Amino acid sequence: MTTTFRRGQHVEVFQKSSDESWEPYMDHFIGLHGIIVDPDTSINDPSALVEVSLEGKGTHRLPQDSLRALE
Amino acid sequence: MTESKTLNKNGQLSAYPPCPVNDAIARLEGEIAGGALSHPRSRRIAEEIRDLVNDVAWGRAGNDHLPAIEELAGKLAADPELDAARQLGKQVKNNLAEHREVFESHVETRNCATGACTRLAPAPCQTACPAGIDVPTYVTLIGMGRHAEAIDIIRKDNPFPWVCGLVCTRPCEFMCVRGRIDTSISIKAMKAYAAERAFSEGTYTNPPQAEPNGRKVCIVGAGPGGITCAYYLALKGYEVTVIEALPTAGGMMLTGIPRYRLPREVIDREVAMMEDLGVQFRFGTFFGKDVTLEELKEKEGFEAFFIAIGAQRCWNLDIPGEKEFANIKAIHFLRDMALGIRRRPGRRVLIVGGGNVAIDAARSCIRLGCESVTIAYRRSRDEMPADVEEVEQAEEEGVHFEFLTIPVAILGENGKITGFHCQHAELVAREGSSRLSPVPIEGSDFIMDCDQVITAIGQRVDDEVFPELKRTRRNTIEVNTVSMDTDIPGVFSAGDAVIGPATVVEAIGGGKRAAEGIDRWFNHIPQPKMPPVPVRRRRLECIEVPAATKMTLKRPEMPHLAPERRKTTFQQVELGLDEHAVHDEARRCLRCDICLRCGKCIEVCRDKMDIDALKLGYFDFDHPVKTDFRKIADRCIGCGACAMNCPNHAMTITDRDGERILSLCGTILNRQPLVHCRECGAIMGPRKYLDFVQKRVQRVGSDIRITRDTCDNCLRKKSAVSGAEITTSPKIEG
Ligand SMILES: Cc1cc2nc3c(=O)[nH]c(=O)nc-3n(C[C@H](O)[C@H](O)[C@H](O)COP(=O)(O)OP(=O)(O)OC[C@H]3O[C@@H](n4cnc5c(N)ncnc54)[C@H](O)[C@@H]3O)c2cc1C
Ligand code: SF4
Repeated sequence: MTTTFRRGQHVEVFQKSSDESWEPYMDHFIGLHGIIVDPDTSINDPSALVEVSLEGKGTHRLPQDSLRALE
Repeated sequence: MTESKTLNKNGQLSAYPPCPVNDAIARLEGEIAGGALSHPRSRRIAEEIRDLVNDVAWGRAGNDHLPAIEELAGKLAADPELDAARQLGKQVKNNLAEHREVFESHVETRNCATGACTRLAPAPCQTACPAGIDVPTYVTLIGMGRHAEAIDIIRKDNPFPWVCGLVCTRPCEFMCVRGRIDTSISIKAMKAYAAERAFSEGTYTNPPQAEPNGRKVCIVGAGPGGITCAYYLALKGYEVTVIEALPTAGGMMLTGIPRYRLPREVIDREVAMMEDLGVQFRFGTFFGKDVTLEELKEKEGFEAFFIAIGAQRCWNLDIPGEKEFANIKAIHFLRDMALGIRRRPGRRVLIVGGGNVAIDAARSCIRLGCESVTIAYRRSRDEMPADVEEVEQAEEEGVHFEFLTIPVAILGENGKITGFHCQHAELVAREGSSRLSPVPIEGSDFIMDCDQVITAIGQRVDDEVFPELKRTRRNTIEVNTVSMDTDIPGVFSAGDAVIGPATVVEAIGGGKRAAEGIDRWFNHIPQPKMPPVPVRRRRLECIEVPAATKMTLKRPEMPHLAPERRKTTFQQVELGLDEHAVHDEARRCLRCDICLRCGKCIEVCRDKMDIDALKLGYFDFDHPVKTDFRKIADRCIGCGACAMNCPNHAMTITDRDGERILSLCGTILNRQPLVHCRECGAIMGPRKYLDFVQKRVQRVGSDIRITRDTCDNCLRKKSAVSGAEITTSPKIEG
């Protein structure tokens, strides 16, 4: 059971999000691993977009329901 | 310094199959840099083709890219004035015609089959940077003392090196490969060092600007997003005006981030560089009230717009007492302070929230002389979204924290706050959610003593500005996040207005992308389909460092202002790294722009040579294993099979001054004395290598001994004379 994503946490983009902010190019990110670099610096809002740095694919704001913690 | 082997003039490694896409880029780059395209129009077309071919190389292209390249190449080939332009146009056209299926495969598979495009891949730190700065290049330049060049490299992708050197949230450091060995490189602090140096030396300059192209762009909002877009458009020759509601530029960098983290002069000096490029600022002008889109279009002739209004509105607590008693919003408090109102907000201040804004407000209150400052946060310390370092510094300065505390009501008398009614919370699992949520514990009510409440529970985008633009359900402006265009043609947007409250470097990255999108829109060039792949700016030689030094150098500690000063003044807390520290940091860098961690060296050493000397456990992103470069010499025989199989010349083997030296991006992994032929003096290799060869020969069953002090040539000559049977040293193959 997790609380919220933490900075520096290893995550996986494990599924497509149904959120409107999910764009078609993000389908290519599914399966990639990365690190949370900016979880949501004001409130721990589960619907906020979090900043994730994906291995080899750059840093993006992704909806949290597309991510799962790896540790 | 070692001179690492460079790519050939076509940008390819000769040992690997050429890629026509890569070849086209190298040719275009060469012509653009070479100056043969002396006419601005032909140079511009060549740059447009290069950008499109770059999209193809990096899997960002759509179906309209190849026709657009063809059309532009046709234009270049028909250039009425320049032979060089005609030649280049024809070459691009022919290359595309001849290798169309390769270009198409890059578009369709988003992959380069030869790997040539991949071999020029940026380092993880560069890929992680939302602005795409070429980190290893500037880190190395700083290590060489070439600060001005480092700043030029940074400003190719980010016009705010100094600001970011002080306040960036540094995604690059989280992805830094050195962090898998011990600690990441102090990339952020090195940037601040170089910017300060370049400014103080007078070498911080703007790059050359294109001729004015007569097109006008209006930017709304002088925050990092707006100013970045203005900078890149001005460099491309656009006439840019920035409209700003406040009397000064900087956006949240100025009005949010307090001065003890980011001195005003830093922002002013970097913004002044944009003014030097001719960017016009119109302060005290609120878009939508003082001036409208129609006026700007029809009366002033602006053709494109970039909306970078940030997230200026705040959320309310929605609890009793909030409206009756004069509490303050953190971002209003910080803004007023930045604009000169430096009154103590109260004696005993309570701040609600757990993010960086709450911490900034609390630390500012301490500096304004508040007697007690407490942050109340509804979850536990572990969930606080604020930076750990920021929290620690706040505690050092005397800020108290109350965790698992839920606000119930603001209490007061005669319009003045007298206390804060709260409840203790516990974190519980809610049905259908994988996350723990704070839930009030019944009967745990308590009152916190305070005479002022500051709320820092998040910002939102002002939906009254430009209401015609389509919004998301988060009330942010909806854009295509690759090209940053909105649903209204010619109107682009980025920064906090698009992603919600975020970071300076994301706003910068968005502003730069929007500038590219606007430029393509004006020139009817297809927009990319994928986010940008950062551009590598140089391939610098590596700094030579012995393995022992590489392992023992430590990430420097940032010196801080004394705590007493921090409690009383707004002086900058982080005092910056010194020259010695930044040079050592450059030596710690692994140069991941050259070593791509493909693992071929490890494989060949382990599987083909059966030696397994290269324990480079940091190559693995998910499960890095502790690496010690010093241990490689224990097993390495200096055969060079790894270097021969390295696709990017990261691993090199050289014979120098009587030694065979194996190095990985400048890190000397092994250094062994060379054995010379007794007869002719030719180099035979290190002793360990010769022993290895002998053992292998014996293992294959031969009873013939290799002579370990005479080279193959001399042995052959001898055998020719004596008629004896001689086995020569087997060749090492990868
Ligand atoms: C207290 C605080 C601390 C922060 N600390 C950090 C940090 O340490 N590191 C970090 O990376 N990020 C930090 N941030 C976030 C960062 O400052 C923002 O993400 C960034 O400034 C967003 O840039 P922007 O250009 O999108 O918008 P802004 O910086 O918000 O700029 C928008 C500008 O538009 C103007 N504007 C708005 N509406 C209109 C209008 N209608 N007409 C004319 N002008 C208008 C505003 O006045 C403002 O100047 C912090 C934010 C805050 C509030
Ligand atoms: S070690 Fe150097 S090149 Fe590698 S990720 Fe870190 S800063 Fe970048």
